[in-house]
Amino acid sequence: MPKRKEEPRDLFPGALEMMVLEILRRRPLHGYALVQHIRERSDELLRVEEGSLYPALQRLLKEGLVTAEWGVSASGRRVRIYRLTAKGAKHLEREVSKFEQMLEGITRVLAPAKS
Amino acid sequence: MSWLKRIFRRKQLYGDLSEEIRAHLDEKVEELVASGMTRKEAEHAAQREFGNVMITEENAREIWRWPRLENFLIDVRYALRVLRKSPGFTIVAILTLALGIGANTAIFTLIDGIMLRTLPVSKPAELYRLGDTHQCCNIGGVQSRWSIFSYPLYRQLREHTPEFSQMAAFAGGLDNFAVRRGGSDAPPQPLVGEFVSGDYFTMLGLRAFAGRLIDSTDDRASALPAAVISYRAWQQDFSGQPSVVGETLVVNTVPFTIAGIAPPGFYGDRMIASPPDLWLPLATEPILDGPNALLNRTDSNWLYVIGRLGRGANPAAVQSQLTVELRNWLSVQIGLGGHDRAKAEKTRIILTPAAAGIDVLQHENASGLFLLAIISAMVLLIACANVATLLLARGAARRAETAVRVALGAPRARLVRQAVTESVLLALAGGLAGLFIAFVVVRVILLLEFRGVGYVPVSAEPSVAVLGFAFLLSLVTGVVFGMAPAWIGSRSEPAEALHGAGRSASDRSSSARGFLVVLQLALSVILLVGAGLLMRSLRNLETQKFGFEPEGRLVAEVNPVTAGYKPGELYGLYQQLTQRLPRIPGVVSASLSAYGPMEDTNFEWPIHVEGREPGERIFSCFDLVSPNFFRTMGTRILLGRDITAEDTPASRPIAVVNEAFVRKYLRGKNPIGKHFGFADVKEGVNYQIVGVVENAKYYYRRDHPMFFLPLLQRVPSGMGFLEYIGDIELRVAGSPEGMEPAVRRALAATNPNLTAIKIVSLPEQIAENFNEERLISRLTGLYGVFALFLACIGLYGVTAYSVRLRTREIGIRVALGAQRGDVFRMVVGGGLKLALIGVAIGIAGALAFTRMLASLLYGLSPGDPATFLGATAVLFGVAIFACYVPARRAMRVDPVTSLRNE
Repeated sequence: MPKRKEEPRDLFPGALEMMVLEILRRRPLHGYALVQHIRERSDELLRVEEGSLYPALQRLLKEGLVTAEWGVSASGRRVRIYRLTAKGAKHLEREVSKFEQMLEGITRVLAPAKS
Repeated sequence: MSWLKRIFRRKQLYGDLSEEIRAHLDEKVEELVASGMTRKEAEHAAQREFGNVMITEENAREIWRWPRLENFLIDVRYALRVLRKSPGFTIVAILTLALGIGANTAIFTLIDGIMLRTLPVSKPAELYRLGDTHQCCNIGGVQSRWSIFSYPLYRQLREHTPEFSQMAAFAGGLDNFAVRRGGSDAPPQPLVGEFVSGDYFTMLGLRAFAGRLIDSTDDRASALPAAVISYRAWQQDFSGQPSVVGETLVVNTVPFTIAGIAPPGFYGDRMIASPPDLWLPLATEPILDGPNALLNRTDSNWLYVIGRLGRGANPAAVQSQLTVELRNWLSVQIGLGGHDRAKAEKTRIILTPAAAGIDVLQHENASGLFLLAIISAMVLLIACANVATLLLARGAARRAETAVRVALGAPRARLVRQAVTESVLLALAGGLAGLFIAFVVVRVILLLEFRGVGYVPVSAEPSVAVLGFAFLLSLVTGVVFGMAPAWIGSRSEPAEALHGAGRSASDRSSSARGFLVVLQLALSVILLVGAGLLMRSLRNLETQKFGFEPEGRLVAEVNPVTAGYKPGELYGLYQQLTQRLPRIPGVVSASLSAYGPMEDTNFEWPIHVEGREPGERIFSCFDLVSPNFFRTMGTRILLGRDITAEDTPASRPIAVVNEAFVRKYLRGKNPIGKHFGFADVKEGVNYQIVGVVENAKYYYRRDHPMFFLPLLQRVPSGMGFLEYIGDIELRVAGSPEGMEPAVRRALAATNPNLTAIKIVSLPEQIAENFNEERLISRLTGLYGVFALFLACIGLYGVTAYSVRLRTREIGIRVALGAQRGDVFRMVVGGGLKLALIGVAIGIAGALAFTRMLASLLYGLSPGDPATFLGATAVLFGVAIFACYVPARRAMRVDPVTSLRNE
């Protein structure tokens, strides 16, 4: 896969899926809107290669964490709208708590030692 | 089944994905255009930010796949394409494998149908047989391992062994009954029947197909005679009419009521050719057998016994308990001589699992089937080697292709897997075709093995087990012959292969091919030697000195019991027959006997001979015959006189003995006038020897002492059954075939109830004795020719291939002055070197293999030099031929063309 040198570092595995699930938890969205959403919410700190979203979405679909249906977007175009399932919500909860634990651990290690 | 749905939904999933990505890009482009870019710039930017569309789509699709399975399917598709592209190779390979797999599946069908089959009864694993040897009957003797029982002994054991929930007895020998439906005038038909105890069907846990099965209420002297017929007989002889239940059936002139029909597929308690079609209660035996009835005699052992052991019973404990009961019973038995008493103290009962019933056929066929299994395994091995050689040659031809694939990064494991997929596909196709071959082979085997028999409860149709066997065998075969060529083929060094494609004189696979050809040749030698030995042995058997003349003789199997004759009426019957039979047009002479030669019947008894030690245990076979017997059979009288019409019950008891009797028991002294008699009988008779006949083959294959008594003259008391004839022999002018109706008419004219169970020419009766030998020899011969053919193709292929590879080398040699003859010798020499190694290994293998055949061979040794020499000569002849054609081609190599081609 061609990569540009100046591009921000890859996310860790599962991060993209977690973010997608979190966004879908709030409301159903289609692919393009999801990309926009990630970019806006992260204040452009994270730049997701747009293409990598689709394999992630297929993985979530296969595991039954989201469902997809063809519908019409706000701008009136035919789009495929993804929706979080109950299984997806539970999965997200678990992943987030695992992520927070990990983050907590990393933070503690990186924090300057208290005397 | 979500994965199944997914396979069908996959097309839609992929479509959705493509559409979605297109929509994504469109939206992006439009947004960028709205923000002021030109459409071209916007499209470019959208593409850049999205990344590679094709790879993204591919990655996304990948998620729905099972790479292992899909790679496998790709391999299968690829293999099918490759196979379709070379139809010649594919067809030859499939046919070769079909023969190999078919040969093995055929033998397995028989093993499954005969050896692995359990009785079609409820819970067969609970059945145990008392005893382990096979004999129809034993009168008066003490058996060392008690296996056949008298009725009183059976009752004793049944009452004193509560561990058996049921214990049933049934006749060891089946009877041919003359049966006619009540009210019918048609001549009676022979039907095979079996006497069974009342609890027989209850013990087997069977339910009637129609009516009821006989039970203990039928097995009483006071009960009205009732019978059960088989489903097969009901279909064939009673045209499947439901009304037969309750009808009268006249069995040997005694009326029985048909109680019911046995369930379909029930073939009795043992698998045999011509299984019983009629079951009669033991209690009716005295009615049918009259004064010679066995039922209440303690000295007549004629019943097999099988019992059902309840859960938790310990067979070993029951076995020792039965032995104790048996010895107790024998000790209170009166009439055991000193010799027998000692033997009775050591006798025992061996309890054997009887899920398959009485395993006579299993016993008789085990060694033959084992031999055939080994032979067919050899054929499969040859077929594997042959196809492997073909694959190797093809792999070498595809070296450049493989090299390109390796250079492009194909992993070796994947290449091997792909090649093995191809060979397994070939093997599966071969297996499928092999099933058909197996079906035909089994049909032929059954016809050969059971020649002269009406019905065999073994089916040629493949069972589930057979299908499973064929499938597994095909898989294993595919891997076995495919693995080595695949491995060698995958070891292609790209640089080397692409560089000098076709230039090197030898390649890695040539030694493997040489080895495979040697293997094929060696196995062919083994099979050829085996086939040669068996064929010569069969010829020896068929053309041996029988001691009688088979040609122009006809044998009719009859039994006066079936027509209701009582002992006192026999003399009149025999008089009538000896007068009527010679008057049939075409009959030269006629005789009657208890049994004839080579019909699997044998009377044998201990005897005492005048002038020998009194306590000595010596045995002799014997037969009872009418005047003219030896003349009709063509047996020569060597000394003294024949049995004549003057030897009547009123005259002095006489006997004619054979040469072996004289040599063994009279030490070659002049036998005429000497006396001998039966030992171990209450009132002995002293027979005076009046004549000596040449040795003739009756039951044993070797010469055996035998004596002949005049029919009806005098037999020891208690042996009244000996007075009933079993055979009529006719010597006819011209061919015996076609005489049957006239013989039947003559019998019917004597007594309408008298019917021949079977009428057959003597050569045919002899031929039926060698069914197994003929079967094994024909099959081995067939497989041997097939093996030779394959090995010849293999040798041809290897030689031809090496000539092709060495065309350039040969060209150089010729250019440098080699003569055509030198080239010819070089090529043929190379092939013959392989043949020589193959033959050497084959002869060593054959020496080991033929030792297994020793018990089957008649009149020659397993190491018979002529056969070995013959097989070697045949193989070399074929090998020279196989090398000749490529050598001719090598001779014609034109140095200019061959060098320019490079």
